Amino acid sequence: MTRIVEVPAWFDDRAFDGFAGGFGAWPPEERILVDARPATWASPFGLTGLLTAGQALVEAGCEKPLFTVPASDDVSRYWAKAGFFRYAAELFELHGKVPRLKPDEPSDVLLGVTPIRGAEDVHDVVGRIQEGASRILHGELGIEAKATMGFAMALSESCQNIVEHAGTGGWVAVHAYTFRKRLGGRRAAVIAVSDAGIGFRRSLEATQMKRFGERWGDAAALEAALVHHTSRFRDPGRGQGLAGIKRYLARWQGKISIRSGTARLAIVPAWDEDVPLASGLPYFPGAQVQITIPAQQEPTG
Amino acid sequence: MIQTIRLDHVLRETVRSPYADLVTRPTGAAVRTRIRQALAETSCRGACLDFSAVGLVDFSCADEVVAKLLLDLPPEDAPYLLLAGLSESHREAIDHVLEWHSLAVAAFPAAGGPPAVLGRVDPDARAAFERIADAGQGTSDEVAAGLGWPTERAAAALRTLALLRLVQAAGATYCLLPLPA
Repeated sequence: MTRIVEVPAWFDDRAFDGFAGGFGAWPPEERILVDARPATWASPFGLTGLLTAGQALVEAGCEKPLFTVPASDDVSRYWAKAGFFRYAAELFELHGKVPRLKPDEPSDVLLGVTPIRGAEDVHDVVGRIQEGASRILHGELGIEAKATMGFAMALSESCQNIVEHAGTGGWVAVHAYTFRKRLGGRRAAVIAVSDAGIGFRRSLEATQMKRFGERWGDAAALEAALVHHTSRFRDPGRGQGLAGIKRYLARWQGKISIRSGTARLAIVPAWDEDVPLASGLPYFPGAQVQITIPAQQEPTG
Repeated sequence: MIQTIRLDHVLRETVRSPYADLVTRPTGAAVRTRIRQALAETSCRGACLDFSAVGLVDFSCADEVVAKLLLDLPPEDAPYLLLAGLSESHREAIDHVLEWHSLAVAAFPAAGGPPAVLGRVDPDARAAFERIADAGQGTSDEVAAGLGWPTERAAAALRTLALLRLVQAAGATYCLLPLPA
């Protein structure tokens, strides 16, 4: 038996719950076919989420999942440029035409899909992002040049969550693109970090479950981490990464949302209509973080 | 005598990376270990951690390098620590982690100008530090006169600064640790 999980046509954080629901009970008993043929666009959150699904299925001992590439050549090309197929080929049995890349095409991909397995990967992504981040944040989004370092800091800290807490590897991608429905058509830089690890609830269970009592679950674990800055480590210096990210986002009207297990918690700025907390969502393994930094002025082009 | 420890050099000795960024906790912990070795191998009374050739410093690494270094110092006869060559983003990360732990350190900006206290000190101690930084040195009476305070208030603020090793006391005079030439 094969279960078909359809990739939403417009695959971003808002459409993610529908995608997660397609897997049913986790881990699925049937072989999974991820059908990306209808996809017309995917955010970095969508692309890293797809790879996380493949990784989680493989790590759960499921049969290697199938994957049909987007029907649109343009979409496939964009995904290829974003580095998606390079890693998807390791996790999925790919079906369909995977385009070959033309190097040096202009792109809004600030950082293609990159695996994060250890501290050295964090060094690498932070080093690689800085020049492009300055060009996008300062040149396109109208954010002061000095904010580039804060952006790289936010990237570094969110990637470190994988290394420190997930118990397995994960993925990061950074794109800049124009929000069509939200943000009044402004551009934004988006960091997506996703892992197939143990998730926030299991990570914090030993130190936080007693404190939350009956309320304990995915939502409470996210609250403990994002609101109270707690960590599974007893080291009093822990928890500063998310606190620092929030401070940076508050200055630039940015947004952070974290989905783990069956819940999602967000620090929602005025420009967004997202709910701060959503619980009872379809289960998805690990943790998915999205950080959005919007343009500070009207779009330039 | 003050020893200068160039963090870009320490980083290069510690991590195989083409970049000069102080990021991640393992990197920070390794860098801190090297700094502690350097401090143990010298008879200098103070050390200046030079950030001028460092790119990014993230919160986790700032916590490991600066906050934990201060927390690890022995309660008595610890060396004085200064930070130098700090960019605005370095200051932001280090200030954040020191606030978190209720620690403080004196820091010279890369752009020049007087040093500032990063982290948490009470407002009186901060004002007294700025006064000493402006004048180079001063007694309780001089700081009190400059700030329009009673002498006892200035004396208490200066004692706090000396206890936190943000200034040195030489008799009745308080001064900053000078930057190495």
